[in-house]
Amino acid sequence: MNEFFTQAILIATVASGIRLAVPLLLASLGETFGQRSGVLNLGVDGIMLLGAFGGYYTVLKTDSVWLGLLTGIGIGIILGLVSAVISVTLKAEQGISGIGIYLFGLGMSDLLFQKLVGTPRPVSSFPKLDIPGLSDIPILGEMLFQHSMIVYVAFGLVPVSMYIINRTTFGMNIRAVGENPEAADSLGVSVVRTRYLTVTIGGTLAGIAGAALAIDLGIFQQNLTNAQGFIAIALVYFGAWRPAGVMGGALLYGFVNSLVLQFKTLGIIPRSWSDIAAMAPAIITILALVLVARRFRQPAALTKPFTRGA
Amino acid sequence: MSDVPMLEMRGITKRFPGVLANYRVDFDVRSGEVHTLLGENGAGKSTLMKILYGLYQADEGEILLNGEPVEIHSPMDAIERNIGMIHQHFMLVETLTVAENVALGLPSDRGFRTDLDAVSERIEALAERYGLSIDPSAIVWQLAVGQRQRVEIIKALYREANLLILDEPTAVLTPQEVDQLFVTLRQMTADGRGLIFISHKLHEVLALSDRITVLRQGHITGKVPVEGATRESLAEMMVGRQVKLVPDKPPVEVGSAALEISGLRVVGDRGHETVRGLNLEVRAGEILGIAGVSGNGQREMAQAIAGLREVTGGSIRIGGVETTNLKPAEIRKHGLAYVTEGRLRDGAIADFSVSENIMLIDHADPRYLNRGLMDFRAIREHSQMLVDQYAVKTPNLETPAKNLSGGNIQKMILAREMSGTPTVLVASQPTRGVDIGAAEYIHSRLVQQRAEDTAILMISEDLDEVFALSDRIAVIYEGEIIGIVDPAAATREQVGLMMAGVRPEA
Amino acid sequence: MRRRHTTWLALFAALMMVLAACGDSTDDTTATDDTEASTETTAAAAEPFRIAIVAPSASNDLAFTQSIVDAVDVIKGEMGNVEVAVTDGTFVVEDAAAAIRGYASEGYDLVIAHGSQYGGSLQEIAPDFPEVSFAWGTAADTFGIANVYSYEAASDEGGYVMGVMAAALSESGTIGVVGPIEVGDAKLYVDGFAAGAVAQNPAASVNINYTGSFGDVALASEAAQAHAAAGADVMSGTAQMVVGAVGVADEQGILWFGTQANQTSLAPDIVVASQVYHWEVILRDIISNLQSGKLGGEIYSINLANGGEVIEYNPAYALPDDVKQLAEDTIAGIVDGSISTGG
Repeated sequence: MNEFFTQAILIATVASGIRLAVPLLLASLGETFGQRSGVLNLGVDGIMLLGAFGGYYTVLKTDSVWLGLLTGIGIGIILGLVSAVISVTLKAEQGISGIGIYLFGLGMSDLLFQKLVGTPRPVSSFPKLDIPGLSDIPILGEMLFQHSMIVYVAFGLVPVSMYIINRTTFGMNIRAVGENPEAADSLGVSVVRTRYLTVTIGGTLAGIAGAALAIDLGIFQQNLTNAQGFIAIALVYFGAWRPAGVMGGALLYGFVNSLVLQFKTLGIIPRSWSDIAAMAPAIITILALVLVARRFRQPAALTKPFTRGA
Repeated sequence: MSDVPMLEMRGITKRFPGVLANYRVDFDVRSGEVHTLLGENGAGKSTLMKILYGLYQADEGEILLNGEPVEIHSPMDAIERNIGMIHQHFMLVETLTVAENVALGLPSDRGFRTDLDAVSERIEALAERYGLSIDPSAIVWQLAVGQRQRVEIIKALYREANLLILDEPTAVLTPQEVDQLFVTLRQMTADGRGLIFISHKLHEVLALSDRITVLRQGHITGKVPVEGATRESLAEMMVGRQVKLVPDKPPVEVGSAALEISGLRVVGDRGHETVRGLNLEVRAGEILGIAGVSGNGQREMAQAIAGLREVTGGSIRIGGVETTNLKPAEIRKHGLAYVTEGRLRDGAIADFSVSENIMLIDHADPRYLNRGLMDFRAIREHSQMLVDQYAVKTPNLETPAKNLSGGNIQKMILAREMSGTPTVLVASQPTRGVDIGAAEYIHSRLVQQRAEDTAILMISEDLDEVFALSDRIAVIYEGEIIGIVDPAAATREQVGLMMAGVRPEA
Repeated sequence: MRRRHTTWLALFAALMMVLAACGDSTDDTTATDDTEASTETTAAAAEPFRIAIVAPSASNDLAFTQSIVDAVDVIKGEMGNVEVAVTDGTFVVEDAAAAIRGYASEGYDLVIAHGSQYGGSLQEIAPDFPEVSFAWGTAADTFGIANVYSYEAASDEGGYVMGVMAAALSESGTIGVVGPIEVGDAKLYVDGFAAGAVAQNPAASVNINYTGSFGDVALASEAAQAHAAAGADVMSGTAQMVVGAVGVADEQGILWFGTQANQTSLAPDIVVASQVYHWEVILRDIISNLQSGKLGGEIYSINLANGGEVIEYNPAYALPDDVKQLAEDTIAGIVDGSISTGG
């Protein structure tokens, strides 16, 4: 039992939680932009899957993880724009159209994988980047500062997102459009343009999240994300539409997952409990964040398409 | 000053499917004047203003600003041409600060960021000039209604609006706030701005306007200077016939207390106590009007009387019988009738037919049952009688309620509620949103019910209505009755002060 | 000809229309399969024997689903005039049921429902099509229905052999196993593996981690990380999500034992051996039964003895001769019954 408290295992658990949090964090940060402007995109998982396949396939062909990431970005932008056309211009019911995008991504990524690759073939992963100085700190350095580059990118995007949403003119427009699009429109803020931008940002980050997942694992498989995109959407709600809250949620989810895995590995959680324990991350995250998020209100115009003068 | 009006709208026609919203409407505003646009709901005032503000495009006609023809395609165009609009439903983002709301949509001079400190400074300067005190860093949801309106006005002034559209700006204000608003508006006209004032409160129209244009069913039915206009003449132009604004009230001998409320305490939707030890008595044969700014516990009080909201303290008696926290149906059996404020939310079922809505309460009455099943013939006869009696304009008894106009839905509800000759009638906002003709009819019905010894508790945010109908006026403030006055002796100002929480001299 | 159906609901069908320019994309051969084309020519005027497969994961998952698809390919190579249809990725049971019913009503000779979770559906569908033979696996129950065969793998046998090798190769004495959910084939394999490891080295500690998911590759990868942190220098795992764990093993230089299909291609440096399923062993019996008019009622099992399970070594890995000998002895022991896998 004491085994768990060895330093190596503690470090591994924290590092593992951080890694597990990264795709969720990227996707839910993106979704935060969309939702703050009033658009719910349930297609995140589909975009992630196509981003994952695109990223994976590019690395397979070029052996460049950076080109792979770029492909993920490109796919994210395109699918983000498609989502925006559907939900903003065509004013589709957001709860349903997003599922369409999800199914498209799920099916399309699998089809492309079958046609272009066939059998899972490993590709190279992101290089590890030890942050000079910080990575030498005992224990903490190993936990936090010896990760692959994408991990720092993901966490670096948290303050960036906070700054954009809370401090910039664009962020003010996002908040206004998500809360009262009529008011924003009456002052000349383009609801359509703002939502196109946020939904495209959301798509881009979902594409990056997918590419990051596939490249970090160095493999692709049918339904690789295993519904992480939906967890990301839930994290946006439970993170109360705030980047820091979303990050907290992603980390909590990642840590509980890594802790459960570690406990199972060491036999602290008996095997007869294994299947129930597998649900723990979802349950604990939901419970913890429900308690936090109850105090916050969702953007008033969330899921409501905007029509001028209606 | 030149003779060219700031604004001229010429021959504006706008059609919606099945509706002619504006037909060849001419309208102009000169610098320094208040030009009122008057009309019933659906007369086409809002459509005309939305065309001016770029929210709609006219099918025909042209708009000239300072003599120059212009095309206004969006609110942005309107703002650029110094047109401002104070919407009836405030166009504010509740989660942003006052300064952010004002700065929204303006190009920022600092690249990605907006200099909110500079915005705040200008807001304070404008606030001082026009008597609009406001804290630029306050978040809008924290502000009271009157303050929110100030933010709306500041937004327009900040954008250097010369022509300001005010869409029913007084609807949500106390009489004192209205007075304060008028001071601000006069300061604005003194500075050479032109104001378009939209309202259906006739005494306010007469108090503020220079000129008045009346619309009915999309057509102009009158264009008069304020001098010589009277409430009656304006109402006639609005409705198209003579209207009795104050119903004749024959004297009725007031009986004993039919509704007795003592120490009533009720908790509102947000978990706060909104009725706090309220005492009130309504006697048979009187109309007691409740005056008050909305949100002071009126709604919760009415719901508590009807058994729709739990009473947490105190008691309610109807006809001498304790009805506190009984079920709604039991309270009705003790003689309560209730006309709710949300017509299509609580008062009627939108998808039910007129007949079904009328029978909602009495459907289990033996008179309409035949061996336990509904006796459709008796039901039809009863509904038809009430529809005729209350002049409900409906194609037939099977028409869904949602297809009726507001006034006719209200008449239908009234017919249902008053058909059993209730001991007590609680009427919440009985004429809100209904046209003058229907309001006139509803008022006469209330007066008639009073003559039949029903005790009527009327809750209204329309002070004209309260004064016209009430035998006594009770003013509610923060969940308490803070004074009861005689409408014949009291002034609107006195009642207005009480509505703002000032207790009358003992 | 070989057809592959991928049922991705209506939207996917719509997508197909959009992609019409790509040609008839439902008629497909596996991209890696180059032996396929030649068999087409053998299709004579005679009615082909028609086999349909409905399976939960991808046909080339290097695991469970691929094992049956490969087996049917072998049968096709042997028989020649065979038409094969595959509906894969039906992890939603309702989708699988629709596909099973669809194939049955199209008159396929043999419909293989390759997932223990499909049993309930099969119980409802099979009686409606008494002319069609159904094979259900992995399971050991035909519900007493005359036209249902069932098949399973004694994966504990191969698992046991792997476990023996793993314990022999481990220097730390700590061995990690990544599993999905503790049921069926996965449970048999993992239990056999653990028994073999402990039999070889009673002091070995075998850490078993069921992640709770057949599909979560990221979780499987982190489970492998957890094993590594706990000191494992040999790992194994079962089900399609283990590709994530293989990646971690490769990265950290930890030895890997595969099952269900030959996983050498995933990490040629560290895969020692794989237990490979050759369902064709029992499919041959089923088909010859079919051709003599018996449509079901038998329960089949592949194992080391009947050649349905084969241990395939990675030729690129320098397996010490003594360990290889140990493995061969263990196989012989299981086949002759002198070794029990403990199951």
